[in-house]
This record gives sequence, structure tokens and C-alpha cells, in this order.
Amino acid sequence: MLLEMKGVSAGYGRAPAIRDISISVPQGAIITIIGANGAGKTTTLRAMSGMLPLMAGEITFEGKRIDGLPASRVVAHGIAHVPEGRRVFPDMTVEENLRTGAFLRRDRDGIEADLRDVYARFPRLEERRRQRAQTLSGGEQQMLAIGRALMSKPRLLLMDEPSMGLAPVIVEEIARIIEEIHARGLSVVLVEQNAELALELADHAYVLETGNCALQGPARELHDNEHVRAAYLGI
Amino acid sequence: MIELLAQTGLNAVYAASYIALVAVGLVLIFGVMGVINFAHGELFMAGAYTVVALYASRDVPFILAVAAGLVFVGGLGLFMERTMFRPLRDNPLGGLVASIGFLMILQAAAAMGFGVRKEHIPPVTQQVIEFSEKVRLPMARLYVIVAAIVILLALWYFLKRTRFGWALRASAQDPEAAELQGISINQTARIAMFIGAAMAGIAGALTAPLVSVNPHMGHSVIVTAFIVIIVGGVGSLEGAVLASIAYALVHTFVTTFWDGVIADIVGLSLMLLVLIVRPTGLFGSADRA
Repeated sequence: MLLEMKGVSAGYGRAPAIRDISISVPQGAIITIIGANGAGKTTTLRAMSGMLPLMAGEITFEGKRIDGLPASRVVAHGIAHVPEGRRVFPDMTVEENLRTGAFLRRDRDGIEADLRDVYARFPRLEERRRQRAQTLSGGEQQMLAIGRALMSKPRLLLMDEPSMGLAPVIVEEIARIIEEIHARGLSVVLVEQNAELALELADHAYVLETGNCALQGPARELHDNEHVRAAYLGI
Repeated sequence: MIELLAQTGLNAVYAASYIALVAVGLVLIFGVMGVINFAHGELFMAGAYTVVALYASRDVPFILAVAAGLVFVGGLGLFMERTMFRPLRDNPLGGLVASIGFLMILQAAAAMGFGVRKEHIPPVTQQVIEFSEKVRLPMARLYVIVAAIVILLALWYFLKRTRFGWALRASAQDPEAAELQGISINQTARIAMFIGAAMAGIAGALTAPLVSVNPHMGHSVIVTAFIVIIVGGVGSLEGAVLASIAYALVHTFVTTFWDGVIADIVGLSLMLLVLIVRPTGLFGSADRA
């Protein structure tokens, strides 16, 4: 397993927002976590990347314990987190945002190569490289947030609601990008409200309900599951 | 008349220089750490007393005394970060209250160590650049102007062109997102606090021979810095520099043609006017930094 989360409880304040969650991410897989608003999807992702301390349980990445590390150290292990709401640095240029994603790296040539790679993948970012990030459209900001995460050269990409607030055409584009990133060998944990999209992209899915893992299984099976269809797919 | 205007203009440039050093440091600390450092005027004072202790009392060369002021006050900044602002990070008013306490400690320490009298500091140089009979720029003031320009340009280069400069701006704009890039918030806070404090320290050290040095000198400095920051737009470094220049021009001209009290009133009224017309300041936006 690339990442293994075992019996994790975490939250804000005293009461845990997620309880006893176990998630396994095999090498090269796309895992998705779906659920309603407030079910604990974002909390789970924040626990993975060290933004939130655990109340119980443990997380290992490539066999090493990473729970208890601050978020700024988890990145160094090879996990990049594209946060909910994109969270690009508004007053920095597109290129400064991307280079900040490579903050921990020292291999100059590698950084330049990856920058060219991100620009090749997102030509619109190259056109706007000297523009401040806050002048970009929502879709462009999402691409910038993904590009910034890729600049850390991660082996696992955590994505929180990448389709949120975007027009259907752009959502299609983001989906294509996720498939492309995956095809290059990156593993992905995708948190989505758009369950249709998530189950289409993922190999394996976890369904969270009020902080507990209600269901899990191969994405295709969950897509045909009656409860999932009624509650999340609106069919 | 032209000569009086030229002379007043030169005085204003000098005033703008050290105001900008203090205000920009204060903005940097606020931007990165979200803390209003009320003790910033006392950091300026600590810089001035470093020059009193080394240059005036012990014949250390002025330039070395200024360098010592930079290091000492920068060190005070690191101390404040570690002992006050870091433990109180999650408490929005905690840092502010702690810095008010530290301000009093610094004032008391200066009064105990040096007494409450005005310090006499021998002039660094008697040289004066004479543009004409009535337009003169003392060399000591030119040093302050040149130092301010060099330091502000260096800071600009650091923030716009270096990896750690980007890290500082990133953590000012979105601390959480910055951590996700591997940037340690403790580290950027240390850097911002050292630079911000050191800038106040060097401003105090450089101007020590030109102003009246006493334990309470920080008060007027911080009031001026606050006016400048509010006019420039809280969180905007460029705004702080431009507002320093604007404020110094207005204040110096009003002082010259009327008097200093009226100049203070005009300065505060300008701040109120800006707040009414543009509550985010001239260069501020709704977001921080």
C-alpha cells in the first residue's frame, strides 16, 4: 500500500468529526471519498496531509508513519494536497505560485523541467504566467492549484472538491486532467460532492456518512449500489 | 520662497526615509503573522539606545554601532516571536496585548539603564551639502536617506525574487496553503519578525544623533507609523512606502509654514478622510497583504 490510514478519528474541538476511518490507497490507484456536506470528507483529507492532528489511529505512507508530522513536513514525503476552494496565492503571479509549489526542492533543472511540463499541460497558465492569480477564472485557478501541487513532484495527490463551482465544460476538462495525471503513474485521493464524476474516475470508493465510513468497495459496484444511487446519484 | 520650498522638500524626504523603514517593518510583521506589534516604536528606541551605549559612551565607530543596533533589535524581534507571538498565535488579541506589555518593559529597561534624561549624542559628521545659501542637506541626513533606499530596494528584491521571499508572501496571503507547499509558518514568522524589527532598529540607530533620544521616543514614531499604514492600506508594503512619502511631505510643510501641533492635527485628519473615502486605504484591497 502507498498510503494506509487505520482507525483514524480527528476533528475540531473535543468531538471528533470523523470516527474510526480506515482507507487504503494502493500504488497507482484513484481512490475517491464521497458523501454529503459535513460528512467528514475534507476532514479525512486534512488528517492525511497533516493539517489536522489525529485523536486516534495512524497513517503510514510508503511504510513510514506520517501522522503527527506538521503539514509542511508531510509534503516532503511526497504527498501534495490541492485544498478545497483552490487557495492559490492571490497577489502572487501564476509563475510565482507554481515555483512556490517547488519550495522544498533543490534540483534546479528538475524544477525548470517540471515548470515546462506544467505549462505544456496547461497552456492557459503559460499565457497568464505574469498575471496575478486572483485575476484568473475559477477553472484556471483550479488548474493553477493542481499545477502548484505537481511542482512538488508528489507520488500521491490529494484533491479536495476540484469540480466545485465550475461550469460543466470545465468540470469535464478537470476530469480529463485527473485521468492524465493518473496515467502518468501518480496515485490520487479524490474528495468529491459530484459522486457521478468521482465514481466514474475512481477505482475504489469510500462513502462517508456523518463521520463514519458507511460503505466501501470498487467504484463500479458502488455506482450500481441502490443506496448510493438513491442518496448520491439522484437516480 | 523657492529655496524655502526646496529646503522643506529635502526635510520631507529625510522624514519619509525613516518613517518608511519603521512602517514597512510593521506591515511586514502584520502581514506574515497577523499581529499588530505595538512595541515597534520601542524597537526603534532600542536601536537608538544601542548607538547611545556604543557610539556615544564607548567610542565605537558609528557604523559598527548601527550594525550592532540592527543585530540587537533583530534579536529582540526573534525573542518576541518565540516567547509571545508563537504561543499566542491562535489568540487574535493576545499578540497585541503581549506587545503592549513588552513595550512597557523596554521603556522601563531604557529608563533604568540610561535615566529619563535626553541623551546627548555627538554628531557623526558636521559636513553639509550646500545646494545654495539657504538649501542645505546635512550629511548625516543623507546617510539616513541612502540607507532607507538601499534597505527598501533590498527588501523588494528579497520578496519578489527569492525563494524565501515568495515563502513570506505566500504565508502572508494564505498561511494554510503555504504550509501545504512545505513552508514552515514558524520559519516565515521568524524571518518576518527579524527583518521587521531590524528595520525599526536600524532606523532608530541611524537617526539617533539627529533626534532627541529618550525612553519615550517610540510613542510618536508608532503613531506616525500607524497613520501611514492606514493611509497606505493595511497589508500593502508599496502603500506604506508611498504613504510615508505623502505623510512626510504634508507634515513637514505644515510644520514649516504653521507649526508642529497643527501638522499632527492635519496628519490625523488626513487619515480620517482616507478612512471615510476609502476604508481599505489608498493601496489596500479587501484581502490581507
